[in-house]
Amino acid sequence: MNKIIKLALTDIKIIFRDSSLRVFLVLPLVLFALIIWAVPNLVSKYDFLEPYLSLFLIVAVIENTQVFSFISSMVLIDEKETEVAKAYGIVPLSKLEYLLSRFLFPYLFTVSLNVILFLVQPFYDISLGANLGISFLTALVVPVYVLGINSIVQNRMQGMVYIKAFNMLVLIPVAAFFTPDKLKHLFGFFPTHWIFQSIDYLTQGKTIGMLLAIGFLVLGGLLWWLSSVFLRKHFL
Amino acid sequence: MIQVENLVFQYPKNDTPTLKSLNFEISRGEVFGFLGPSGAGKSTAQKVLYKTLSGYEGNIKIDGKDLTDWDSTYFEKIGVGFELPNHYLKLTGKENLELFASFYPDGKAKKVETLFEMVDMFDAINQPVEAYSKGMKMRLNFIRAIQHDPDILFFDEPTSGLDPVNAHKIKQHILDLKEQGKTIFVTTHNMNTADELCDRVAFIVDGKLEATDAPKTLKAQYGKKAINVLLQDGQTEEFPLTGLGNNEVFLAFIKQAEVKKIHTMEASLEEVFIKITGQSLQV
Repeated sequence: MNKIIKLALTDIKIIFRDSSLRVFLVLPLVLFALIIWAVPNLVSKYDFLEPYLSLFLIVAVIENTQVFSFISSMVLIDEKETEVAKAYGIVPLSKLEYLLSRFLFPYLFTVSLNVILFLVQPFYDISLGANLGISFLTALVVPVYVLGINSIVQNRMQGMVYIKAFNMLVLIPVAAFFTPDKLKHLFGFFPTHWIFQSIDYLTQGKTIGMLLAIGFLVLGGLLWWLSSVFLRKHFL
Repeated sequence: MIQVENLVFQYPKNDTPTLKSLNFEISRGEVFGFLGPSGAGKSTAQKVLYKTLSGYEGNIKIDGKDLTDWDSTYFEKIGVGFELPNHYLKLTGKENLELFASFYPDGKAKKVETLFEMVDMFDAINQPVEAYSKGMKMRLNFIRAIQHDPDILFFDEPTSGLDPVNAHKIKQHILDLKEQGKTIFVTTHNMNTADELCDRVAFIVDGKLEATDAPKTLKAQYGKKAINVLLQDGQTEEFPLTGLGNNEVFLAFIKQAEVKKIHTMEASLEEVFIKITGQSLQV
């Protein structure tokens, strides 16, 4: 456990010493300001926005995951580029310990952000159970995103290109809301679709158990597969 | 301590193996060197031995136990000095060492301050690594490799990027580790490093071992037991070392003019390498 904590704390130290990463920690504050003040003001002025309230919430929830999706991706890309990753290949640290130490804090931080976001948003009454379910599911985007990026790229330059592409992939399932109902689950190929649908169902007062279960299955499976790909490549 | 039999390794995307049936042994307290040009397979062999690369053919035994049977405790037993500096640039040298020390069982790690003093870097202990020169980063590589007191050490081009003074110091530290009974596997294309450090060297070319022996033996075997004399007037002559003091021709020759240079004709390790493999080391 000491090993995991030490490495997790090192990541935080690195983030705070790198101004290009540190600045991203401000993003959640901007999102919270938008959801608490800006969006309610806009909706009160422009009625036509009201049907899209759940969409505002969905975008805010997924953007919360992008803070550590970007930061952790860059930390690991930097580790690969400077070949520090090679040094992890020859230390008595299991692969599970390595992954846990890199993702435990970003995961829990992202869960917390979304739990708070659901509590402070002024649009819907959301039960704590549903709040926690969606928050724990949504935060899985962080390790999936980071492992996906780092299974492909070798350096920061490639990383920036793929991060742009991944940002689009994360948001593509928003299109399901502008698609006929019977076709919307075609976007289920994209893991964030199940998160978006869960939030949408929740805001309509529908049950979300099944959607959450599918979401955990899809993101969990993807996480398991990407972990094995990443671990095969990262330490070489 | 390390026994390698018929080691074959092929990278998945390659058509031919990078390592072709290697056989060698390294004893406790021995410095063994792989000498060869870039791309010969030196680093690949080390990577197989420190378990970064898997999927090899052949047998590798460490302390009599098959390499595949070793669990993560194997990594407590080994230390690796990489060819290129690899550290967190935003962390200080001390933070880098303390992070990696935290992965080993308590009490195994040497004191960080002592390690920095050992490589004359105590003044830089709290500086971020991004402020270090390449030579300092390489010295940090070295002390990270030895900080947990491993029994087996792998050094890939240990003097690369170091000035002559620091290169000499690192070589001396490696010889001290040998005296402590460590098993040391060095790969290099620097013949002087190999000559000064290694008890035995193996010449590796295109993934094959062409010769394995002590540098002294190889140099004697492929050199001449003779001297070459160059006079100020440009005349030059070779004379056998045997009976040189009583060699009338030699004595007459050096009386002809001022002697400019006399040197023995023992082969250098690089000359031996070229003779055996037909290739240059500086590839």
